[in-house]
Amino acid sequence: MKNSSSITAICWHPIHAMLIPFPVACFAGAFITDIVYWRSMSFIWETFSVWLLTAGLVVAGVAVIAGLVDFISDHRIRNLRSAWIHALGNGLVIALSLINVFVHSRDGYTAVVPTGIILSGIVVLIMMIMGWMDREPVYRHRIGVTD
Amino acid sequence: MRLSKCSRARRTLPQLALVGIATLALAGCNEDSFDTKTQVGANPVLPDPQQYLLPPMKIARTTSWGQETPKVAPGLRIEALATGLGHPRSIYVLPNGDVLVVEANGPRAPINRPKDLIMGWVQSFAGSKVKGANRIVLLRNVKDGKAEIRSVFLDNLNSPFGVALVGSDLYVANTDAIIRYPYHEGDTKISAPGVKLTDLPGGPIDHHWTKSLLASADGSKLYAGVGSNSNITENGMQAEIERASIWEIDRATGAHRLFATGLRNPNGLQWEPQSGKLWVVVNERDELGPNLVPDYLTSVQDGAFYGWPYSYYGQHLDPRVMPQRPDLVAKAIPPDYALSSHVAPLGMAFYTGTNFPASYKGGAFVGEHGSWDRNPFNGYRVVFVPFKDGKPNGSPQDVVTGFLNSNDEARGRPVGLAVDHTGGLLIADDLGDTVWRVSSIQ
Repeated sequence: MKNSSSITAICWHPIHAMLIPFPVACFAGAFITDIVYWRSMSFIWETFSVWLLTAGLVVAGVAVIAGLVDFISDHRIRNLRSAWIHALGNGLVIALSLINVFVHSRDGYTAVVPTGIILSGIVVLIMMIMGWMDREPVYRHRIGVTD
Repeated sequence: MRLSKCSRARRTLPQLALVGIATLALAGCNEDSFDTKTQVGANPVLPDPQQYLLPPMKIARTTSWGQETPKVAPGLRIEALATGLGHPRSIYVLPNGDVLVVEANGPRAPINRPKDLIMGWVQSFAGSKVKGANRIVLLRNVKDGKAEIRSVFLDNLNSPFGVALVGSDLYVANTDAIIRYPYHEGDTKISAPGVKLTDLPGGPIDHHWTKSLLASADGSKLYAGVGSNSNITENGMQAEIERASIWEIDRATGAHRLFATGLRNPNGLQWEPQSGKLWVVVNERDELGPNLVPDYLTSVQDGAFYGWPYSYYGQHLDPRVMPQRPDLVAKAIPPDYALSSHVAPLGMAFYTGTNFPASYKGGAFVGEHGSWDRNPFNGYRVVFVPFKDGKPNGSPQDVVTGFLNSNDEARGRPVGLAVDHTGGLLIADDLGDTVWRVSSIQ
């Protein structure tokens, strides 16, 4: 059987899979800069956090579009339980990070402590669980893999 | 965190866009039923601070005056003294009756956080589209709204605001320095280069950029209002050095000391005529809710600390400031007279003329530029606070209103005030690009 294809691909490199590491790194980085802000109370670390969240969300938005096109265009992807888990889990990551970027847009200490840093931590936790489970769509079901 | 439903459909365009960005049911459009009259005078009601995902916001759409004028209290009339100005922010009356109008824009705000991009765009809906020339215009012998002479008095200034004359020395407070110019009675233009008396805290951030200026009665000292460099220290405490304070500057040497501190954005410095004390209007902090923190009018005590950023109205702690300074909070004194929240007072003038009805004698007019972060609007008017024995005595009275029309569109926004040599009240309107003159009907 032919592998499920990613129709949003550049020269057979699937855009969705290509973009995902970017917001993952940004959101994880924001958790680290939040921790440094919490310990140092130096405003510059909060500034790093809010830019990391913003950049992560912008790229995540593009990834969502590419992912949705793949998802909708190929019924075999839609029928994968793991693809649904991937979509819902990462959707939650994006929703929480969207709330988090508004929290981080407050002025002063409460931009991070306690709500912001807790949200950043929860997002990292979900991303780790998703990273564990996300092996399945590509490694087992070979979405976007060219033979 | 507080999530609340949007209860009223009436929102402005930028708000709709922001709500769209948020895609969440956020605060920001719920109309507030709080009675602002409970927040005026000596003991304002202070609700608990609230924090939001999207703070309440209501930006006034702008329109023009057309043939209309602001409304005035009974017994008074109003006329345009000069129109077609470029963002007039403050007014100074020279001893010969000539009127100086300071046309100014703030320096370009840097983008430090994503929020600055959004807020810059949102607030661009609220202001005049005319760019201030950063110059001072002189008006002479104004009759029936026409000035006999209208000339560019001083040009190429750097976001000027305050003006003070001592003898033949005319001081202009640019946003980053006080400059002295030679002035002779009758001059309509100064072309001599200025001499710097002292630097003032300016860029690169320069969040509150307006520097009000006032000379002491004996002329030996100048007092300058220096606003904070942030809403509530989000640009770091290093950016706040010698800010949120009133500077006392020695006119002979240019040396300065901090006369009073903890005043977030002090403007409209004036001497109270009865007591000779320094009074000021102050813009308090945002984003703690539609009814916090009330802006105020206060006497300024030498060496006093008024709370910013750590606390407000005495010992009410601001949860957003960390690390806190209990030593400073302990000595923070509450201001004298609250004006209610987010009215944005930027100008003040004690009435020392004789043209107005006697009840106005000795009281203070306050120019309230108007709110952007609460719904419904607050401010957008000139109020009068009666004084007795050097202290406020009674509630503020609306004297000049109608800056918002019946559709809640802003036609003008009052800023600086001054009393002219025949006792008329002058109002700089930086949205209508007009200077208004209020006088008695007689």
